[in-house]
Amino acid sequence: MSAEQMGKLTYRMRLVFAVSSIVFLAVLAISPFKDYRREWKQYKRSYLRFAQGRPDTKKLLADYNPNIDQIWLPGMNVVDRCTTCHQGITQATLADNAVPEPFRAHPPIPHNVRDWGCTVCHRGQGPATEVAEAHESTLAWEQPVLPTRFIQASCGTCHQADLPQTPQVTRGRQLLTKLNCQGCHRLPGIDRPQMLGPDLSSVGTKVSREWIYKWLKEPRTIVDKDGNATVNGYESQEEPRMPKFRLTDEELRALSAYLSTQKARPLPTYKIDARVVAAWNKNPELASQGELRFRQMFCSTCHSLAVTRAGETQLIGGDIGPELTKVGSKVKPDWLIAWLRDPQGYLPHTRMPRYGWSDEDLYKVTQYITTNLTDSDLLSNVPQLEPPSEPEIQLGRRLFLEKGCASCHVIEGVTPQKDFGPDLSALGAKNASDLEFSNAKIPHNLVSYIQAKLHDPVSVNPAARMPQYNWTASDLDAVTTALLTMKGPPPTSALQNLVVQRKEVDFQPRGAFGEVYDRYKCYTCHKFNGFGGDLAPDLSYEGSRAQRSWLVQFLKNPQTLRPTLTFRMPQFNMSEKDAAILADYITMVLQHPAANPAAVNVKQFTPAMVSLGKQLYEVKYQCQSCHTIGGTGGYVGPNLNNAGNWLTAAWIEAWLQNPQALVPDTIEPRRTFTGEEVQALTAYLMTLRAATNPPQKTADVTGSRRADQGVGR
Amino acid sequence: MKTRFWTMAFLLTAFALASGCQKHADSTKADLLLRAYDIEADWTDAQHITPLNYRQAQGKRLFYQYCVWCHADATPAGPSNRSNLTPVPALLNDGATLNTESDEYIQNIIALGGSAMGKSAMMPPYGRMLSADEIRSLIAFTRAIAQPPYQPPGRPGSQYSAK
Repeated sequence: MSAEQMGKLTYRMRLVFAVSSIVFLAVLAISPFKDYRREWKQYKRSYLRFAQGRPDTKKLLADYNPNIDQIWLPGMNVVDRCTTCHQGITQATLADNAVPEPFRAHPPIPHNVRDWGCTVCHRGQGPATEVAEAHESTLAWEQPVLPTRFIQASCGTCHQADLPQTPQVTRGRQLLTKLNCQGCHRLPGIDRPQMLGPDLSSVGTKVSREWIYKWLKEPRTIVDKDGNATVNGYESQEEPRMPKFRLTDEELRALSAYLSTQKARPLPTYKIDARVVAAWNKNPELASQGELRFRQMFCSTCHSLAVTRAGETQLIGGDIGPELTKVGSKVKPDWLIAWLRDPQGYLPHTRMPRYGWSDEDLYKVTQYITTNLTDSDLLSNVPQLEPPSEPEIQLGRRLFLEKGCASCHVIEGVTPQKDFGPDLSALGAKNASDLEFSNAKIPHNLVSYIQAKLHDPVSVNPAARMPQYNWTASDLDAVTTALLTMKGPPPTSALQNLVVQRKEVDFQPRGAFGEVYDRYKCYTCHKFNGFGGDLAPDLSYEGSRAQRSWLVQFLKNPQTLRPTLTFRMPQFNMSEKDAAILADYITMVLQHPAANPAAVNVKQFTPAMVSLGKQLYEVKYQCQSCHTIGGTGGYVGPNLNNAGNWLTAAWIEAWLQNPQALVPDTIEPRRTFTGEEVQALTAYLMTLRAATNPPQKTADVTGSRRADQGVGR
Repeated sequence: MKTRFWTMAFLLTAFALASGCQKHADSTKADLLLRAYDIEADWTDAQHITPLNYRQAQGKRLFYQYCVWCHADATPAGPSNRSNLTPVPALLNDGATLNTESDEYIQNIIALGGSAMGKSAMMPPYGRMLSADEIRSLIAFTRAIAQPPYQPPGRPGSQYSAK
C-alpha cells in the first residue's frame, strides 16, 4: 500500500472508524456504570436510605462508610467483608424481624463479631463482595454458607465440651456414641466405651441359630412412612443400636452358623432348689407373682416392654438395656438363670448390676420371662436351618470380619480390621469436590452429602459397607450437626487456643467401696464427679447432702423423693454390709466444700426459729408451690416430709444460700435470704421427720422414658 | 477486508462486554431434606408449627428447663404442677393474659418474683439465676407461641426493601 493510497481513505472506511470509536467509547463507559451498579454499593446506598427513614438515623450512621468494610483477623484466617452489606449487624435497634435483610442485627451471642468475624461460624466466602459468591459454592470457593439449622455445629467445633445452648450438638454426639459409630470410624471427642456391641464369644449358649438369622435379617423390623421405628412390631422412640445390614440369604445362613457355634465360655450350671420349684409349681399364680417381682425390682428402669394402653401399643421403660417384650422366645432358659445370677460372668463389660437373688425370686422372675414375655410367631419367617456345616462356618467367620461385625462385637481369637470405616475426624471441613456423589440426585454440597449418606448409605456409594440406620428428621439433623463439628485440627494456632477440650472423666474407686460400686453399677445411672449416667441424681456431693443413717435405709429399701418423677432405683436386695460400705464411703468422701458441718450447730435451733421458719416457708416464700410437706404442696422439688432425717443441716444452709453452687443445673432459684432466714428455714426443715419404713409402693413403669429428659435435680 | 474489520469490531465489543459481566454462581436449589430445626408445635393444635429464631429457640430451651413445670399442662416428666397451685399460673401460650403485659413487666416478674410485683409469692424470683438476656429470650419465646398471636405495640411500619 502506497502513501497516497493511505491518505485516501474511502468514505466507507471513515464511517467504520467513526462507528467503532463510538462503540469503544460506549464500552469504556460500561465500566464506571457497572462499578456504580455493583451489588455491594447498592446495599450501601439502600442502607443509607433505610437509616434515614428511621428515628435513630444518627446512631445507625455513626460509623457508616461508603467503601467495603472488612474484618481482618490474621490469626484466625478471617478476611470477612460480610459487614459491607450486613451493616446493621451490631445495631441493637435493628433486631426486629420487620427489619429487612441484610440489615437486621445479629441475635445476641457470647461472641462479638468484630473479634470473631463471620465465616468462623457461618462459613461461606469472607472476601467475596457478591451475594452469590459469598453465600454459595463457586469453582474457586467451595465452602457455602452453613444453613442456620446446623449452625450449632460451629459452636461445637471449638466447644468440644457440651454447652447447654447447643442441645442439637449434644444430642448428635450422644447418638454417635450410642450407635457405636466409633466402632468403624475415627470420631475425635466421641466416647468409646469398653464394650461397643455385646461380646459374642459365647453367643451360642444364649440364642439359637434361627434367632440369629432373624435378628441379622431384620433387627429393627418395620419403619412406617413417618419414620417411626418399630422393634418387634412395637413403636419405639429410639433407634435400636443394631443397624440393618444388607445381607443375602447365603450370608445370613453363614453368619448364623458361625455365631451359633461360638461357645467359648460354658454356662455355669445352677439348679434352683427343688423345694422352691415344687412349692411354686402348685401355684397357678406363678407368672403374675413373677411379674410383680419384675416390677418391684425396677427392671423397667433399664428395659422396656410393650404395653397396650387405650388401644395403642408402645414400648414403655428405659433404654439402657435391651427391650424385653419377646425375650422369652429369644434366650435359652439355662442361659437366663446364669445371666441373672452373674451378668458379668457372661459379658464382662455389661452395665447390668449383679442382684442378690433368692432362689424363690429367681424362679418366679425366670418363669415370668420364659412363659409371659414370649411370641410363638417370633421365628415363623425363618427358613428351616440344618445343623451348621463346616463351609458355612468358615464363610461366616470371613463375613464376620468383612462386614465389619468385628468392629463392634468381640469374639475371642478374632482380630478386627483396624480403621474399618473412613476417618471422619475432618469430615466437616471437606469441600464438595472431595466427596463422591455417584449418581445421587442431590445438591452437591457437604450437608446434602452427609444427610444422604446417613439416610441411605448406598444412595451416594453403591458399594458402601455402612449399614442402614433409621433416623427421625430431628435425629438426622442432630447427627449431621455433630459430624459438621469435626473439622480436623484447627488451621492456625490462634484457633487451636480457642478449643475448649472435653474433660476426660473417670471415677473408679478401689477398695471395698469400689467393689460394691462396680457390682451394683451405680455409675450407669448416677454421676460421680462428672463420670456416669444422667438418669438419676448426681451423687458427687451426696455425703454432704444426706445423713448416713438415711443412706443406709434408702439403699436397703429405696423410696421415691420426687412425686413427679417415676421412681427407678432398682431393688438390689442389698445386704446390711454392702449398704454400710456404700454409706460410709459416700459420707466420708463425696463432700462439697461449701457445706461445712462444723459451721452449723443443730442444738442451737430454738422453737422460735422453727416457728419463724415455718412462717417463712408457708407465707413469705410459699415454698409449698414446689415442695410437699404433709399431704399438700407442689410436685416440682423433692418431698420434704422426711427432711429432718434425710438432709444434713449444713447442706440445707448452703443450699438456701446458693443452690447452684452445690448443683449447677438445679432449677431451684437462688434467692436473697438473710442469714437469720436461712437459719430459721433450716431449723424448721430439720424438725420434719416421717415415720421410718413407710409401706413400699409398687412400681409404675409409665413415663419413665420421658422422665429422663430435662428434669433438674 | 471489510468483513474482517466488522468481525474484529464485533469481537472486541463482545469481549469487552463479556469481561465486564458478572459471573453468577449456580444457586443451590432448595433441598427438600433441609427443614427448619428450631420449631414449636402449637400446644392445642400439633399440626400448627411455629418456626423459632435463635433468640426464641434459646427461650424455648430455658422454658423447658425451668418454667414448664408450672406454666404448661404437659411436662417432659408427665404430670404438671400447674393444677396444684392457687392461683393457677398462666399458661405460657395464654395470649389473652400475656399479650397485654409489656416486656418490662414480664422481665420484672421473672427477675423479682410474684410478691415483688403484687402477685402470688408462689412465683419465685429468678433474677439471680437467669441473666437479663436469658429472660429476654424467654419473653421472645412467650411472644412467639402466644395464642391469640402477639402484636407488638407501636412497631414502626417498615416498607423498606433491601435494594
